[in-house]
Amino acid sequence: MELFKLLAANEVVAQIISFLVLLAILRFLLWKPVLKMLDDRKAKIADDFKQIEDVKKEVAGLKAEYEENMSSIQEVAKEKMREAIDEGRKAAEAIKKDAQQSAKAIIDDAKVSIEIEVAKARINLKKDIVDLTIQATEEIVQQKLTEEQDRKLVMDFLDKMDNIEK
Amino acid sequence: MHKELPNIITVLAEHFPGPVAEFLLTWQNVILSLIVISILILISFAVYSSIRKNGLIPSAIQNVVEIFVEGVDGFVCSILGHHGRKFVPFIGTLFIYILFMNLLGLIPYFKSPTASWSTTMALALCVFVYLQYTALKELGFKGYTYHLLGKPKGVIAFSVVIPLLMFVLHVVSEFVRPLSLSLRLRSNIWGDEVLFGVLAGFGLQGVPLLIFNSFLALIAALVQAVVFCLLTTIYFALVLVHEE
Repeated sequence: MELFKLLAANEVVAQIISFLVLLAILRFLLWKPVLKMLDDRKAKIADDFKQIEDVKKEVAGLKAEYEENMSSIQEVAKEKMREAIDEGRKAAEAIKKDAQQSAKAIIDDAKVSIEIEVAKARINLKKDIVDLTIQATEEIVQQKLTEEQDRKLVMDFLDKMDNIEK
Repeated sequence: MHKELPNIITVLAEHFPGPVAEFLLTWQNVILSLIVISILILISFAVYSSIRKNGLIPSAIQNVVEIFVEGVDGFVCSILGHHGRKFVPFIGTLFIYILFMNLLGLIPYFKSPTASWSTTMALALCVFVYLQYTALKELGFKGYTYHLLGKPKGVIAFSVVIPLLMFVLHVVSEFVRPLSLSLRLRSNIWGDEVLFGVLAGFGLQGVPLLIFNSFLALIAALVQAVVFCLLTTIYFALVLVHEE
């Protein structure tokens, strides 16, 4: 009980009032605003981080889309190249075919020309042979027949020759 | 009886003898507490103005106070969980008030109001009343009585002796808490003050010891403020944990 003499009731009451006043003032001036501000800041930081994450996701999405587009563009380019090559090949084939046809036509024309020339040459040759034969016959026979008779005679001879050749 | 070092109040009392001196000497701890309260209010006002002015970007003083407030918030919430936030202003104010009162004694011509049992008892009574109020509010009258009975279950619930003994034990422990809280703080700070008085009596030879004791007193001032608030938080936790 001696210990309790150290206590002064009026001082205890005054100290309680002082503390409660301090608590009320600090609650208003310090704790509420600082805790609120810390919460706000935490919320803002969390919000900022969330925004950063959202932007990151958006960027990743755009990147994926870009890469997809790039790969599809490459595919399209390859397809176009393939088509161009095919078209080129087709054109080359067509040109080659045309050229072959042209060549064949030229060859055919040439063959026809050659046949005509051969025919002409044969006719000329026949004529020359006829002339030579007539001259030879004239010399052999020493008898001059009329030209009409000579010619008929030679032609008959040649026809016989042709028949023999065939 | 130890020789107390002179402080600003005793000096003023010597200069103004009579009723003024009597008033000053009677209320010296309260006057010194009011000085601490004024300092704390000034700091709080500066922080409040800074927050209103700067918002989320802190000034120098605001930075320090923010670290302190965040520390107290983390400390209390780590013990009390999600209940902790509503006790932060009370426990935080207790801590900073006790710390500043303890530190006041280290300034020449001042003394720690916490060296007086009346001061520490006032704070311990505030804790006691708030604790009982919280217990009744959170647990209800029946729940709190059940808690004081030791939450008897099974066979023990039907016996009378054990719950009654537990009830007496809990009630005594509840009433002993303010005594233990207040006497621990008062005795440690008072012990430092006595030691300062004794060492000052050594004259110049006592100066190194005085300096050394100042460092010890600085640590003690912080440790005692922490212990007071830690125990207060644990008392609240004991009530709130039962609720869960």
